[in-house]
Amino acid sequence: MATGAARRGGSRLAKQFAEKLTLSSSVGAQNGGAMGSPWGVQSGVGAGNELIPFGVRYASNQAVRNRMRSVKNIQKITMAMKMVAASKLRTVQVKAENSRGLFQPFTALLGDAPAVMGNKTLVVTLSTDKGLCGGINSTVVKYSRSLLKLNQLNGEGHDTKFVIVGDKGKAQLQREYKKLISTYITETQKVSINFTQCAMIADEIIKSSEYDVIKVVYNKFNSAVSFLPTVATLLSPETLAGEEAQKIGNLESYETEGAETQGEVLQNLAEFQLASVLYNAMLENATSEMGARMSAMDSSTRNAGEVLDRLTLSYNRSRQASITTELIEIISGAAALEG
Amino acid sequence: MDTFRLRVIAPDRIIFDSRAAEVILATNTGLVGILPNHAPLLTGLDIGILKIRTNELWSVVAVMGGFAMVHDNDITILVNEAENAKEINLQEAQEIFQLTQTKVSQADGRKENIEANLNLKRAKARLDAIQEGIKEGTAS
Repeated sequence: MATGAARRGGSRLAKQFAEKLTLSSSVGAQNGGAMGSPWGVQSGVGAGNELIPFGVRYASNQAVRNRMRSVKNIQKITMAMKMVAASKLRTVQVKAENSRGLFQPFTALLGDAPAVMGNKTLVVTLSTDKGLCGGINSTVVKYSRSLLKLNQLNGEGHDTKFVIVGDKGKAQLQREYKKLISTYITETQKVSINFTQCAMIADEIIKSSEYDVIKVVYNKFNSAVSFLPTVATLLSPETLAGEEAQKIGNLESYETEGAETQGEVLQNLAEFQLASVLYNAMLENATSEMGARMSAMDSSTRNAGEVLDRLTLSYNRSRQASITTELIEIISGAAALEG
Repeated sequence: MDTFRLRVIAPDRIIFDSRAAEVILATNTGLVGILPNHAPLLTGLDIGILKIRTNELWSVVAVMGGFAMVHDNDITILVNEAENAKEINLQEAQEIFQLTQTKVSQADGRKENIEANLNLKRAKARLDAIQEGIKEGTAS
């Protein structure tokens, strides 16, 4: 009867074992003497009388089989997530590359001034809404934090505020800097990213806070395995008209038309620049998200495969051991009868 | 023949990237024509039409606002949205135009008014674009 139970690897075996263990603990206390040795002497379960350490957990075959099934399911899920991310990557990558042509003329016209730190800095952190995408959100948050610290080093009067796009960035930054966050923007990928959406976000940012410099922190898509954290610097219209910026850019050489003053044109220009840079940054970040998710899910699938291999080996070993034990009992029983 | 490099870029695609002989822009303060060797210019564009002349042929594009930068015979036009006249259907454009006109008269309240007027401007730009295109013979 015991052998049959062993073959089924049932939980009944484990339960009997557990009962015997608790029984033997009282026996062991008496036998083990003053030291209270945890070893107890048992009989019956397993192959003959053996000293089995008190508190060992017997991984029954059923339990191992359950674990194998769940690991296999996880492997299937992560494989599917990788395929989905790969297909989404293709579409977003095309859009991201097409959008690069939009903001580059601005850099040519107004120059790129990463060192300009005004009195009021706005850090726009782009992160993802969904997780399971590797370390890209942590890098963006790390950069945003160091931008804040850099600005704080400049002393009093240098304010920094955050605008956070994406749930993951929000979760990480709101713990420490809840008071510094001016706006949250989430669920940007419910409809696919388009320029109108970014124009509205740019509008919202400009309306809700004054600033001298905007720093947009995002992951630039370099290739399917490399995502570079990037900071894009944008100056407000007032700073643009100021002396420092004029030296860097080409703005001076242009006549302006189309509005009353150059200030008005600069205002429109700065808004359009923010919208274009945001559009490109959001697309690059989305592409990086897909790429990172693809590689994270790929390594998950591979790890799940390895765990499954190990579990299968140990399952087979224990199964073969119990079959061998049964055979030995039968054969020795038969030999005893003969002899 | 004297030409300059012209690029018309929208957020999702490049509309035009080649050489042209003349371009007419619709700025906030009126129409501006640009010929080769123009002085450096930076201007905002209104919702209207953009005409490009290449080899005596005019092509028409409806643009929904943007910026134009002219420098050293190299013109870059960045637009929020653009539609080539060839892609616009005359019938459809006229129907949409009339629809937006009625919406403007029905608009109630400042926000609705502004929105309706904006839509009217856009529909008018599209209609003008296709009508100009037909006139120039480059669209049908």
